[in-house]
Amino acid sequence: MRCDVDRPLMELRGVSKRFRRSGGNSLFQSTFEAVRDVSLTVRRGETLGIVGESGCGKSTVARVMMGIERPTRGEVWFDGVRIDRLSQRALRPLRPRFQMVFQDSASSLNPRKTVGALIAAPMRFHGVARGAAARERTAALLDTVGLPAAMALRYPHELSGGQRQRVCIARALALNPELLVLDEPVSALDVSVQAQVLNLLRDLQAKLDLTCVFIGHGLGAVRYVSDRIAVMYMGRVVETGPAEALFARPAHPYTRALLDAAPSADYALRDRPRLTLAGEPDETPPPGACSLCRRCPLADDACLRHDDALRPVPGEEGRQAACARGMKDAASGIE
Amino acid sequence: MSQPLLDIRGLEITFGRGDGAMTAASGVSLAVNEGEILSLVGESGSGKSVTALAVLRLLPPQGRITGGEIRFGGRDLCALSEEALDEVRGAGIAMIFQDVMYSLNPVLTIGRQMTEGMRRHLGLSRADAAARAAQLLTRTGLRDAAGTMKKYPHQLSGGMRQRVMIAMAVSCGPKLLIADEPTTALDVTIQLQIMRMLKQLRDDTGMGILLITHDIGLVAETADRVAVMYAGQCVEQAPAEALLTRPAHAYTRALMRSVPDARDHRATRLLSIPGSVPEDYGQLAGCRFAPRCPHGPECPWRERDEFIQAEPGHITRCAWYVGRADHAV
Repeated sequence: MRCDVDRPLMELRGVSKRFRRSGGNSLFQSTFEAVRDVSLTVRRGETLGIVGESGCGKSTVARVMMGIERPTRGEVWFDGVRIDRLSQRALRPLRPRFQMVFQDSASSLNPRKTVGALIAAPMRFHGVARGAAARERTAALLDTVGLPAAMALRYPHELSGGQRQRVCIARALALNPELLVLDEPVSALDVSVQAQVLNLLRDLQAKLDLTCVFIGHGLGAVRYVSDRIAVMYMGRVVETGPAEALFARPAHPYTRALLDAAPSADYALRDRPRLTLAGEPDETPPPGACSLCRRCPLADDACLRHDDALRPVPGEEGRQAACARGMKDAASGIE
Repeated sequence: MSQPLLDIRGLEITFGRGDGAMTAASGVSLAVNEGEILSLVGESGSGKSVTALAVLRLLPPQGRITGGEIRFGGRDLCALSEEALDEVRGAGIAMIFQDVMYSLNPVLTIGRQMTEGMRRHLGLSRADAAARAAQLLTRTGLRDAAGTMKKYPHQLSGGMRQRVMIAMAVSCGPKLLIADEPTTALDVTIQLQIMRMLKQLRDDTGMGILLITHDIGLVAETADRVAVMYAGQCVEQAPAEALLTRPAHAYTRALMRSVPDARDHRATRLLSIPGSVPEDYGQLAGCRFAPRCPHGPECPWRERDEFIQAEPGHITRCAWYVGRADHAV
């Protein structure tokens, strides 16, 4: 089945997604581009972390990957098959191979079904297993995510947030998917429970040889489970590369600002110098300019003429950043 | 040392009555000094928010203060009449919440809401109050203060609303600001701006801040002193440097080691605390963290529930890590 190892499992090519703004009348309805010209690849066996703040388009990317949203422009490829133009019916045979976990576990589980029925539902729907075989596999899945088998008889409201998120993960794993897309899976959980779920994900990556896309706004959590990172800002990928190098030597001021703003429990880092962005995300950046230029303390006149295209980072393997200026002489903007 | 601005002693808060009664806070004692940022940190259900609400007597109807005292400027707030308390709210103690949308009136302009408190508590004229409001909004980093004052809450972004809330909260020159998860709903780059601004306001005005948060990272970057809450109790209290570099309580340590740090590479595995925060903890005897504690039944602190002093100014209910080789983080 896994014949071509070099072929990316999931690939976005120049994907843009435009939405209508809610409200307004139909003649003059305005639109906005949630995702702009995003190209990403996810290779087999790796975890790609997508990080960015609210409104950066990261969840839309996840939904486009899953075929929940159709891109306005660009292509979505899953294991060599272009899926963005397929009907839901034509997509159905591929569905078992890529599955998703959402942030809000309470609203993604039907409150009237038991945990066992919820986990077995995808197996029944796709005709993989039913009856005793489905029950057996459900018990095995519960064990995989660290829940007791007796949990199968409970209803979602009887579970804690962490337990519910484990059930969602078990359900997503029910069909042995090759790709798991997780959209902010731990953001709604208490920190001690977050750690349980993050550790579970790391164990699953190792045990099941899973390919994952992990979307989050917490840099720490994303880094904890990811091999490669894509940083998004205002609908674009502004930096991408291997996690360790990207966080050790950010090449885009936005990445650096995110890293500097992420609170650390390490008291020694309390008064570290930080690159601080001014104001709030700028919905209408000057045309042809870098979309961060009005907030970036390093920006100079040249930044008004640079676009947001990704460029290779000099001297860094497999890294790209959308900053033409780079982090040179960065000390002046960091206080 | 002069007396603290806010002095909470042995606070007990109970929800419900009779058999259904649940304790939300038991024996909470803490003090905030002038010009100091005290951070109250804990997970959801730890009792940190009810403690803050109790200070302003804003508990929901089912909740009652069943013991202890809350002294502010020498007066016991629990004993004040509603009228006297009204004078304390706003001018003496101001509060900001996580969910700003519910704290702003959706049908009044920002300017109208901002000036209302100043006219009432400071006796300013309409024009003077508007001028001061514009000045405060500019200080919070809003570019167009005059334009913002003409807008309604729904026309602002979350970060802008929180700036407005803070400007409004400090407009009457409170001596104490209670900030309950003020940045939890915001992005980290905006959080950094807001926290810097709060520190600056503290430096300029000398107000004390009671910062309530679940984020131990935010505590490490902001607080002067820290009180850790778990299951309705304050379990450890110390100056920030001592608490974060030499935590004594097993729960504090676990809390710190369960947060992934973006600067740390994947090598260190997170410590996951099994189970979750108990929901009804009024009947627990001894250490309330014991059922989830990694140190198990042989822990000598398991049966105890009193504070001990780990070092001057550093008190804890569990001293597992005190004096051990692995004490430092």
